[in-house]
Amino acid sequence: MYKSMTPVLAAFLVTLGCGGSFPPPTQALADAQSATRSATELGAARQPMAQLHLQLAQEQIGKATVAMKDGENERADGLLRRAKSDAELSIALTRDQTAKTDATKATVQSNAQQTVNANQGAAQ
Amino acid sequence: MNTIRNTGIAVVLAALAAGCAETLPPQELVMARATYGRAAKGPAGSLDPGDLHSAQESLALAEQSFTANGDTPGTRDLAYVADRRGKLAEARGDAMQANQRQQATLGQMHDAETRQLASTSAQLGRANMQVTLQGQALQNQDQVLAVEHQRRQEADARAEKAAADLAAFASVKQDPQRGMVITLSGGVLFVTNKSDLLPSAQIKLNEVADALTKQDGESKIVVEGHTDSQGGAGYNQELSQRRAQSVRDYLVSRGVATDRITSQGFGLTRPIADNASAEGRANNRRVEIVVQPRAQ
Repeated sequence: MYKSMTPVLAAFLVTLGCGGSFPPPTQALADAQSATRSATELGAARQPMAQLHLQLAQEQIGKATVAMKDGENERADGLLRRAKSDAELSIALTRDQTAKTDATKATVQSNAQQTVNANQGAAQ
Repeated sequence: MNTIRNTGIAVVLAALAAGCAETLPPQELVMARATYGRAAKGPAGSLDPGDLHSAQESLALAEQSFTANGDTPGTRDLAYVADRRGKLAEARGDAMQANQRQQATLGQMHDAETRQLASTSAQLGRANMQVTLQGQALQNQDQVLAVEHQRRQEADARAEKAAADLAAFASVKQDPQRGMVITLSGGVLFVTNKSDLLPSAQIKLNEVADALTKQDGESKIVVEGHTDSQGGAGYNQELSQRRAQSVRDYLVSRGVATDRITSQGFGLTRPIADNASAEGRANNRRVEIVVQPRAQ
């Protein structure tokens, strides 16, 4: 019984560890593309680091698409996971930039207000 | 036999593991570890624990894959994703910190605006108070002016009435050379050939005196006595002099200053009507009070 199963188990483990039939990662492709679109719409192109990661995401989606055509679905899946994480990072960096810009604007406004108030106080 | 078979399986698994694994961690994993360490020390540690935890889980998966499988494409993909998750946590932590800074600044601005508003409001209150006080002062001033105006109106009315009363028994004329001439009929003032004032004349002269004292106190007054042509010129001269003096004295007794009023008799020398008729003679018997124009 055990003797007859040993080669089967070994074959299964080989299949699992080093490749074999892998379904086309269509969902991963959709997720990566969706995140990339969001980053673009948010204005990632305006912030250098966000733009870099957006570009990485786009390149990886391109490579994944080619890999899928070549039947290298597992490699495509890995590329698409990378692409999605880059696109999401691009979104976060864009928002971070916006938050920092807003905070700086508020500081500038506050300084201006203090100057105006000080002048008014001096005038009275 | 079983032991031998189990050993065989273990050998197969070990061989598989040795075939797929590398001793050194891939570059992606090294970066992911460094990124996570940095993110955990940054603002994300306190402000964005959710994303930091997610990064930690991703890193754990990559580590597990590396431990189990070594440096495989799968391990590298997992490590790459873990690195991005770590950076994402960092970015969100930074963004939250920036948001907090912005909110604090806006809060300070709001407080400053509130203080400024309170200060402006207080100033406005003081200004309003001043305006109210000034308004009250003006109102008081208006009331004073109104009272003054009322007094003047009353004084004017009294003067007008005095003038009208005077006109009722005396004619008042403006003579360009002599000044204002108030002519009183002799018949009203005296009994024939006498120089004592009749009681009724005194009442009339009171009004003349009032009018004179109300008028310009500087101008000189001459009381002139005139008679008709009946009787001798000397007698008439003397009678006119006494009558003029009598009127002058009475006016002085009613408050006209002695140094501004004199008297003079002209007798029959200055008739204003024909002495041939009784009416003409009546007109000629008169006392004229001449208020001379003030010397410029």
